[in-house]
Amino acid sequence: MENDDESETDDEFEDEETSREIVAPGEILSEDLDTYNPGRGTILNKKRDKIISVLVGLKQIKNQYINVIPLNGFYTAHPGDKVIAIVVDKNPVKYRCDINAKYQGILKPKNTIKYNKKRRRGKYHEKPDTEKYEIGNVLVAKIISADRLNSPELTTVGKYLGKKTDGIIIQIDPPKVPRVIGRSGSMIKMLKKATNCNIFVTQNGRIWIKGQDIENERLAIEAIYKIEAQAHTTGLTDRMEEFIKNEKEKRGIN
Amino acid sequence: MVLLIQDEYPEKLWRDDGKRLDGREPYDLRPIKMEVDVIKNADGSAYIEWGNNKIFASVYGPREVHPHHLAKPDRGILRVFYRMATFSVFDRKRPAPGRREKEISMVIGDCLEPVLFLELYPGTSFEIFIEVVDADGGTRCASTTVAALALADAGVPMRSLVTSCAVGKIDGKLVTDLSGVEDKAGEADLPVSITWFNDELSLLQFDGQISQPELEECLDMAKDALDKVYNLQLDALKRKYIKIQEEAEEMGGATD
Repeated sequence: MENDDESETDDEFEDEETSREIVAPGEILSEDLDTYNPGRGTILNKKRDKIISVLVGLKQIKNQYINVIPLNGFYTAHPGDKVIAIVVDKNPVKYRCDINAKYQGILKPKNTIKYNKKRRRGKYHEKPDTEKYEIGNVLVAKIISADRLNSPELTTVGKYLGKKTDGIIIQIDPPKVPRVIGRSGSMIKMLKKATNCNIFVTQNGRIWIKGQDIENERLAIEAIYKIEAQAHTTGLTDRMEEFIKNEKEKRGIN
Repeated sequence: MVLLIQDEYPEKLWRDDGKRLDGREPYDLRPIKMEVDVIKNADGSAYIEWGNNKIFASVYGPREVHPHHLAKPDRGILRVFYRMATFSVFDRKRPAPGRREKEISMVIGDCLEPVLFLELYPGTSFEIFIEVVDADGGTRCASTTVAALALADAGVPMRSLVTSCAVGKIDGKLVTDLSGVEDKAGEADLPVSITWFNDELSLLQFDGQISQPELEECLDMAKDALDKVYNLQLDALKRKYIKIQEEAEEMGGATD
């Protein structure tokens, strides 16, 4: 399964502008406000003469903006994100889903209707086809609306979206998702090819894995956890390729 | 067998060679060791050993507020739960939260609130659980310091870290970082907290007797001590990542 979004993702960890310098909240990033502007993960101090960091992360200077790429944190829902959701509550009006964000996602039945364009019993009308879910079901969903006040609304209509009945789901730190995907999908392509697994990475840090056998799946999981732990280092894709090659030899899988 | 140890304080709080009972100079801190990411299931966690104090802090959030009536529609809330283990002090401490624990929870919460962007997370709560495993004077200072570390480790946006340290007066001399005995038998105790984004005091409690010039001198002493603790905090936060970077560099060098 290919995720179209993957190729569009920018891997900020691997950017040339990203330094390897780790900053902590409150640390001064720059006092030169004529050259630089405060970007993501930074604020100005009270006197407005210094740029300071608000997160633990890597310092990045890009297009005259100073950003901080976070190394830990939580997921905040944005419209258009694909997430893996778990149904936790169900009533006639809506499903409530755990999406690993501060609010539960809401899935209304109108957002689960798939129109069947085939003829049925010789008639030409289009009969809507609603998927039914139970508590505990795992869904791949897309966020259609989210803001910081209301619960995000989900949909399961679309390409790759819907119920998952097989595979393994693991959870990583959401800020490290871009690193698992890599610049224009390089890391995820390598992982898929090397371990022969189907891997679907979603923005809330949950990853769906389905391989040919359990050995390959376990190797993929270990590799992803290793990427998560070493997200702030350089040359990670090459090192992971080496790691998978060595492990395969050691374990005798091909 | 009943173990009886008299609850008496020493007559003198200074040794004959001019040092304090534990061998420190007046302006010395106790040995401090900090570590982050010690509790796996928490969003962020930290551990501190400050002299004989051993304290764990864990942070969860932002998450929905339970009970729900505490939630604020326009901003998030910060809840702090400071608890002492039953075995943390000499006499067994009753496990139910007492007056002192509620007060310290409130004090730490008020002290940390200015550095958080609570207005960005309406209807949610951040929860800090502080567990004092071993107590020996100055737990509120150590708790504030470790709670700030745990918040930063959880990836909560913060204006800066918060650092805390106590200063005071024992037997007529001003000292930094009072231990348990000095705290109880000394003349004055002054816990101080600072938020580094505006260099303002976030906590200033006081009990005992002290003159105004002495108070000003105390605050100067506190500034020096806080600087030292702040550097240790920054080091603890970054150490985890720098260690992995160094290991990776070594591995990369070996393969090339």
